[in-house]
Amino acid sequence: MIEVERTSKWFGDVVAVSDVSFAVGPGVTALLGPNGAGKSTVLRLLCGLTRPSQGAVRVLGQDPRRDPDLFRRLGLVPQQEALFEGIAALAFVTLAAELHGLAGARTAAARALAQVELDPDDRRPLAGYSKGMRQRVKVAQALVHEPELLVLDEPLDGLDPRQRLHLITLFRRLGEEGRCVLVSSHVLDEVERFGSRVLVMAQGRLAAEGDFHAIRELMDNRPHRLRLATDRPHQLGAALLASGTVVGVWVSGPGELVVDTLDGAAFRLAVAPAARAAEARLLELVPLDDDLESVFRYLVGAASRSPGAGR
Amino acid sequence: MRALYRTFLSTQVITGRLAGLGALGLLAVLLGAAVGAGQATDPLDEGIGLVSAYGLSLFVPVTTLVFASAVLGEPEEDGTLVYLWLRPVARWRLVAAALAAALTVSLPVVVVPLALAAAATGAGAALVGATAWSSTLATVAYTGLFTWLGLRVRRALVWGLGYILVWEGFVARAGGTASLLAVRTHTRSLLARVAGSAPELVEVSLATSVALPLLAAAVAAALTVRRLARQDVA
Repeated sequence: MIEVERTSKWFGDVVAVSDVSFAVGPGVTALLGPNGAGKSTVLRLLCGLTRPSQGAVRVLGQDPRRDPDLFRRLGLVPQQEALFEGIAALAFVTLAAELHGLAGARTAAARALAQVELDPDDRRPLAGYSKGMRQRVKVAQALVHEPELLVLDEPLDGLDPRQRLHLITLFRRLGEEGRCVLVSSHVLDEVERFGSRVLVMAQGRLAAEGDFHAIRELMDNRPHRLRLATDRPHQLGAALLASGTVVGVWVSGPGELVVDTLDGAAFRLAVAPAARAAEARLLELVPLDDDLESVFRYLVGAASRSPGAGR
Repeated sequence: MRALYRTFLSTQVITGRLAGLGALGLLAVLLGAAVGAGQATDPLDEGIGLVSAYGLSLFVPVTTLVFASAVLGEPEEDGTLVYLWLRPVARWRLVAAALAAALTVSLPVVVVPLALAAAATGAGAALVGATAWSSTLATVAYTGLFTWLGLRVRRALVWGLGYILVWEGFVARAGGTASLLAVRTHTRSLLARVAGSAPELVEVSLATSVALPLLAAAVAAALTVRRLARQDVA
């Protein structure tokens, strides 16, 4: 349903998306990556909101930049928060339905709002809505015409846990119905709950692609760097090297040791016995690269070291 | 089309904006009353002078700039344009609805106070009619131009004011062929010709004075459609 072929997008000197290729079929696919990875630009390319600087994008067999008729089959939840502030949710979603030429636009809008658990009879202007309610209004306007392709840019931002669960269930159901649902997120655990295929983006490139669990395994198996606070850093470092669970050790400051390990699980098992053997007090153990940025950086490195890695 | 028009109209009707421009309209009426209360030897010439200098040179373009530059420019800047753009609607329909909404707000805000000002000068029905025609034509032309400008540049108000002061003000006064490129030249001509006085303001034929501003509006509208189809949308 979506084909992206060797597509790049740059804005002046800034490369937002670099030589990205992928295809997406029916079901839920998550586009995962840290902020600034290029996810929103990819989604905008898919919707024709911006033109690729290089490469080709085909959506449902059409060029989204050239054929507004494609928008009959496409729904977008954009990232920006702005809505038409002076009107009520029902009027906003009805407008979307009318522009799609739906007969019974108001009824369709009420149904879409109910799907995201908003009250169609709420007459308050959108300006008075909370962030979570605004997110759900955005989802309702994207769903109102029952599109074959649903593109969602961080749709769970600002939602409480119950609403998150509700929308995740809704997206999964739409995927099971045979629609193509492409959801972007920078939250790993969120993506896990979609139980979906994943495209991982980092630094404008497609870093990995495939089943979520394979990606997760790849992430867990990467090298880790940790800082240990101890009263005997030299002795503890020697003991850890002797255990064979670390590949690098250096004393980074008074009472401070940094280690590199290729096997996090084995290291965790070895560290306490090593401290005991060195007669060292282990005061603190801090992972230095456990944030998502580091994970994604590693995946990008892995992809460039071995073409096709994680794919 | 009606849904689009309604939406654009709702974004145009902002109390503060209407009040500010309404005050400019009230000033026009007060100036007209001042002319009427004075001992003018030729009230028609004085009235034409007022409508031309204040109305067609300042009030009409500035008011139209405020509304027209915002009608597509504001949704584009705040990101709401995507909710209209990403629909199976021909781009010309979007532009037509935006122009119609801008005109719906601009025309009464501009034409009514200027016609009242013309009436207040005591110059008679000829001036009122000429004012209504010329200010309507000017509003249509500027609406087309400034709607395009609003989509084309950021800070369209600044660019628009620059256009009004430098291009319309300077070029229109320069005379010769260059003045034909200023909307004001044509609307002033129409005003003087229909009112039947102030021959020094008549620089072009009646047909030209009507056709060229309409042509400018049509070309600007076509450019707006083209721009909307090709530009990035936030």
